[in-house]
Amino acid sequence: MSDPGRSAAATPGVLPSAVRIFDLSLGQMLWSRRSVFLGVLLGGPVLMAIALRIVDTLHASGFKVNGAAIGGSAIFGMMVWLLFIRFIVPVLGVFYGTSLIADEVDDKTITYLFTRPIPRRSVLLGKYLAYLACTVLLVLPSVMLVFFLIVPIGGGGIGEAFPSLLADLGMLAVGLASYGAVFALVGTMLKRPLVVGLVFAFGWEPAVLLFPGYLKRLTVAYYMQALVTHEMPQDSAISMLLQVFHEVPSVTTSLLCLATTVALTLWLAGRAVERREYVLEQ
Amino acid sequence: MPIHDQGYRRYGGNKARTGAGWMVIARAGIRTYFSKRAFLGLLLVSWFPFFVRAVQFYAAANMTSIPQASMLAPSADTFRQFLEQQQTFVFFVTVYVGAGLIANDRRANALQIYLSKPLTRAEYILGKLVILMTFLTLVTWLPAIVLLIVQIAFAGNFTFFRNNVFLFPAITLFAFIEVVLASATMLALSSLSKSSRYVAILYAAVIFFTQAVYGVLYAVTRSTSLSWLSFSANLAQVGDVIFRQPLKYDTPWPVSLLMIVATVAVSAVILERRVRGVEVVA
Amino acid sequence: MAGLVVADHLSKWYGQVIGLNDVSVTVPPGITGLLGPNGAGKSTFMKLITGQLKPSKGGITVLGEPIWQNPGLYTRMGFCPEQDAFYDRMTGLEWVTALVRLNGVTDTEAGAMAARAIEDVELTDAADKKIGAYSKGMRQRIKMAQALAHNPELLILDEPLSGMDPIARRKTIRMIKDWGRAGRSVIVSSHILHEIESMTANILLINQGRILAEGNVHQIRDLIDEHPHSVHIKADRTRALAREFLGHDDVLSLKFEEGAVVVQTGRPDAFYARLTDLAASGEHGAIHEVTSPDDNLQAVFQYLVKA
Repeated sequence: MSDPGRSAAATPGVLPSAVRIFDLSLGQMLWSRRSVFLGVLLGGPVLMAIALRIVDTLHASGFKVNGAAIGGSAIFGMMVWLLFIRFIVPVLGVFYGTSLIADEVDDKTITYLFTRPIPRRSVLLGKYLAYLACTVLLVLPSVMLVFFLIVPIGGGGIGEAFPSLLADLGMLAVGLASYGAVFALVGTMLKRPLVVGLVFAFGWEPAVLLFPGYLKRLTVAYYMQALVTHEMPQDSAISMLLQVFHEVPSVTTSLLCLATTVALTLWLAGRAVERREYVLEQ
Repeated sequence: MPIHDQGYRRYGGNKARTGAGWMVIARAGIRTYFSKRAFLGLLLVSWFPFFVRAVQFYAAANMTSIPQASMLAPSADTFRQFLEQQQTFVFFVTVYVGAGLIANDRRANALQIYLSKPLTRAEYILGKLVILMTFLTLVTWLPAIVLLIVQIAFAGNFTFFRNNVFLFPAITLFAFIEVVLASATMLALSSLSKSSRYVAILYAAVIFFTQAVYGVLYAVTRSTSLSWLSFSANLAQVGDVIFRQPLKYDTPWPVSLLMIVATVAVSAVILERRVRGVEVVA
Repeated sequence: MAGLVVADHLSKWYGQVIGLNDVSVTVPPGITGLLGPNGAGKSTFMKLITGQLKPSKGGITVLGEPIWQNPGLYTRMGFCPEQDAFYDRMTGLEWVTALVRLNGVTDTEAGAMAARAIEDVELTDAADKKIGAYSKGMRQRIKMAQALAHNPELLILDEPLSGMDPIARRKTIRMIKDWGRAGRSVIVSSHILHEIESMTANILLINQGRILAEGNVHQIRDLIDEHPHSVHIKADRTRALAREFLGHDDVLSLKFEEGAVVVQTGRPDAFYARLTDLAASGEHGAIHEVTSPDDNLQAVFQYLVKA
């Protein structure tokens, strides 16, 4: 047995520790049962794209709205809005973001991480980075598959639409980062973060975007709108109302605000984790 | 003087008849949630629309001198809309109460303990169902019926009630369908996992994802005949039929009803397979 | 001697419930047993020592430094928690390696340290199996491996023997004693008295959030001089012996059992000396067996708890 009491290595800093936590967490996130849920969620749009492509191939007339043919790019834009921006990205943010630390607490494995010579905030940061990597690695390919399946509908050109795909991929990555960070903060501060997260993503955001004034700036969706290259679909009265009150900041402003939101919420979440006591269920 | 035996004595009182174990589970569960302040707050908030409507009925009945008061007059559609608005609270109560109903028991390995008592699986499931259905009834059927009574009270006559005598069975039937659908679905999902958080997200996915999928297909095809894909659209379609309102979707209402029945049936199958004392590994 | 852990008027409450109540104690180097019934405050004390909880009042230092929000101290401490929780999909070696990496060592070094620790706990054969497939004893040992892999000066073990079979229990006790002999300090908690007794004579007795006693179990026993010492004597002529005993004022009481007499004495040394003479002379018949149920931790604890 080796001799104890020799002087310990210097404590790693926040970022190196976060990288090690990232290594530990990424595999767990990717190969856990929840990835089945993620797979189903992201496979849905791909299956829908396949179905639409088959229908388009079988019916040469293509898809028409009010008598006018709609091209693949428009359909792709609708899918990005309705499936990814309004549902998948916020849901993933709520689901993973609120459970970054909570899962470890529920599983009672948080003790091992918090009794290591690493700052507690690096545990949160590492898990956040793992969440981001995991979701980006899964969401972006799904979007790309949908793109390649849908855009050629109605004679659309992939080459022409490719730059907008890159913009969409960047936008979705920014959305995942922003929602994840916001809900990471919610997760560290509240006892029932999931319900609050769902209220925020599916109650507060859609409602507040309808109101004129400054309240909408307290949402992620407001800034995300600026980054979307596609027109918002008119699928409901709410969408039409949103068009009426459509007020979009500039891309630069949106990116800056979202970056600030991510940095601030992660910092606050880290601070909360440092100070909080986690009493595990016996 | 005889010395009394201070040792253990067998229970000599009356025992409840077999088959009544579900009542114990239901009572315990209902008491647990009524003791939570946050939940009581949610229930209270869920009655706000009731108060708004009550004020509307009062104004319609007692402020006849104001011409605009006639616009506030209740109709069958008013009750239909009220129940539709309550669906937001149905969602949150279902998530709050239902997500952990079976998931928490699975996490704590309590199913073995429950089923080692003289309690059948059916009683266990029934007990859990009754917990969720009780609270959902409190935010759907009860406020709607009280609203009907309030209308009669404020109007001072039974005219509206006599002209809309179908409202009482309509409210009861629709609330029953809504409550059974939400409860069965949530309970089935809860039996699939040990994490109530995961279950809540699964439920949100079922509601919002199916709605998003239908939204995309509607945006592409401009046809509402695919509304049977959406969990909430099916309920809305059946609700419109029950309240004798014009149907919102082209989907034949028996198809929507069939989807609801199929969802409940699938939930029952899942519950039958998942609620066991031991995991059977083939 | 400087204490490893110094608690100064330490209290911790959870809302209305007091977990630890004004505890002032110094834990010396070596193996210290923290003994108390369930709900006594052992885990609360361990969580305060390991910096998972913040004191509500008072302070605690570990290895000379405050532990709360001081992650650097974890290089010198290893903690084996009570809960049976792991990343079940990982193998034992992967898991310990991943945790050791968090100490800032390189991957290669982490692997080597993990392998050494797993060897120390005699789990080398199972190192490449998933933790989900481990038995209870193996899970406890892999937990201990992650606690000692980085060579800490101080090991804190919360109920390390819980759920183990007798063979695994014996192995673990031997390991803990070996660690103590190797120069590590160990604080080990348990509610099972003979487990602690078999590991160390240095104990900390805790109940209802308060420290009842600290030190060597025999010293504690000696201090409780108001409590009479019981001696159980199996003999042929118990009544004759009793008549002999009653003639001396150190005998406080006696009672008869089947073929035996139980004597309560306030001066055990004097009593034993007389008893030896009586046994040698055979004056009052043969004495077959003399035992004392009092000179062990059970008796000490029960007395203190009742007090």
